[in-house]
Amino acid sequence: MKRIIGTVLFGALFSSQVFADYAVVVHPENNAEFDTQLVKRIFLGRETAFSNGEIATVITHSPDSALRTEFDEGVLNRKTAAVNAYWSKLVFTGRGVMPTTVESDAEMIELISENKNAIGFIDTSSVTSDVKVVKID
Amino acid sequence: MKKTLIAAALTASVALPAHAEIRINGFANLVGGVTSSDETLYGYDENFNFSQESLFALQASGSINEKMTATVQILARGENDYDPEFQWAYVTYRMTNNTSFSAGRFRLPLFKYSDSLDIGYSHHWVAVPQGVYDVPFNNIDGFRLDYADYMGDWEIKLGASVGTFENEVGGGVITGDNTYLVSAEISNDWLNVRTVYGTSTTTFSETQIDGLVGQFSALSPAFGDFYAINEDTANFFGAGFNIDRYSWFLAGEFTRIEIPDSFSSTDDTAYLTAGFRAGKWTPSLTYSVFEGDELKGSDELAALGEPLNSALRPIINAVNDRFAENYQVASAAIRYDYAANFAIKVDVSKYTDDLVEEDDATLVRFAINYVF
Repeated sequence: MKRIIGTVLFGALFSSQVFADYAVVVHPENNAEFDTQLVKRIFLGRETAFSNGEIATVITHSPDSALRTEFDEGVLNRKTAAVNAYWSKLVFTGRGVMPTTVESDAEMIELISENKNAIGFIDTSSVTSDVKVVKID
Repeated sequence: MKKTLIAAALTASVALPAHAEIRINGFANLVGGVTSSDETLYGYDENFNFSQESLFALQASGSINEKMTATVQILARGENDYDPEFQWAYVTYRMTNNTSFSAGRFRLPLFKYSDSLDIGYSHHWVAVPQGVYDVPFNNIDGFRLDYADYMGDWEIKLGASVGTFENEVGGGVITGDNTYLVSAEISNDWLNVRTVYGTSTTTFSETQIDGLVGQFSALSPAFGDFYAINEDTANFFGAGFNIDRYSWFLAGEFTRIEIPDSFSSTDDTAYLTAGFRAGKWTPSLTYSVFEGDELKGSDELAALGEPLNSALRPIINAVNDRFAENYQVASAAIRYDYAANFAIKVDVSKYTDDLVEEDDATLVRFAINYVF
């Protein structure tokens, strides 16, 4: 009961942050195989290549977006600040390239449709035929 | 070799194809601290000081081609009057998706947080535990081979580095030739264990020590040779673990640095740190120890017999008094994630010296960490 009240209160406080359902998307011609763990590793820079050997270009949403929070906490199990701290380590040791950030799903779709090796995520309701949805749990 | 490597890395970075995308990133730590009255610690005293640990860094990297990347990092430290210096300058060649080869000046992966020790934003401390991390060979000029792969849920990382270093320490200059380092690391989602072994041919030169060694050598060449750090083998051993369940974490490291055939005592250092993450707040506790006060050369001197033994003993005792350190530091810190690339921290450290009680100190620091 306490929890429900908490959830309701939390929901009321952040009513502008509507619960978003995300879809991980790649270029339609990307024939690599994916699973949740691989997606997680790619978005944390721990795996740099797809199963087809191509180097992944990671694209994410700006840190203040609700979708980003959902994705970081839902798939990566980390707060966005912790994900950024993790990437800053990779970047400043020359082991990774900071993911490009976009401001909207439309911008994400545009970038992914232009780059065969890009991977990102968008709101499920934004999916178009310009991108391919990757199945994760 | 050093200059050539850096020059090569720099040349490679400016010779990037015109269409290459050059990425500029940076980080900054603004750290201020003050001790209790009449005490000093890590260069801080009772007057509030901003320059001791503050730093600003810019990093530029770009792809030379599909397989090669050049990285240059320029860092300006407050303790060096913010004189910018090339912290890193290297070219990485990606041999396979699992293996990369780097050449130039880079951070030697001695410790768990070696790669990121300057990037305050990436960890929970105001500063990494100084006793463990403050060594004069964090950066070397040379080559590095890195391998990373997955075995089921486990990620395995192996590294090998070779090169040379030169740095100022203890009022003198230490150089390391033929420096080799191998490291192995295994991790899964929440556990990380690593071990590292290194060796180097080191030489230490400092006016007072050099003078003493000259006098010792005149009396007994064998003892002078033992006492000096002159192309002597130094060994580095380290082991560490990190348990990160996200809502809480526990990590620790142990290191040993020894130069057996010299006046330098073996330094054993360790720390244990634990904390938890509650929303934007990360409170943590850290306890570290430094033991390096063993008297070296005592047996070798005794073997020389009288009168040398009695005549020189006060001298080796005095040298040991100057370089010996044995202390513990307990600290409590809190990090607040103000924004996705901006953190604020405060910590309190209590330093307890086992050799010189008057050196005990309490230090309060705050930090602002920024990355872009």
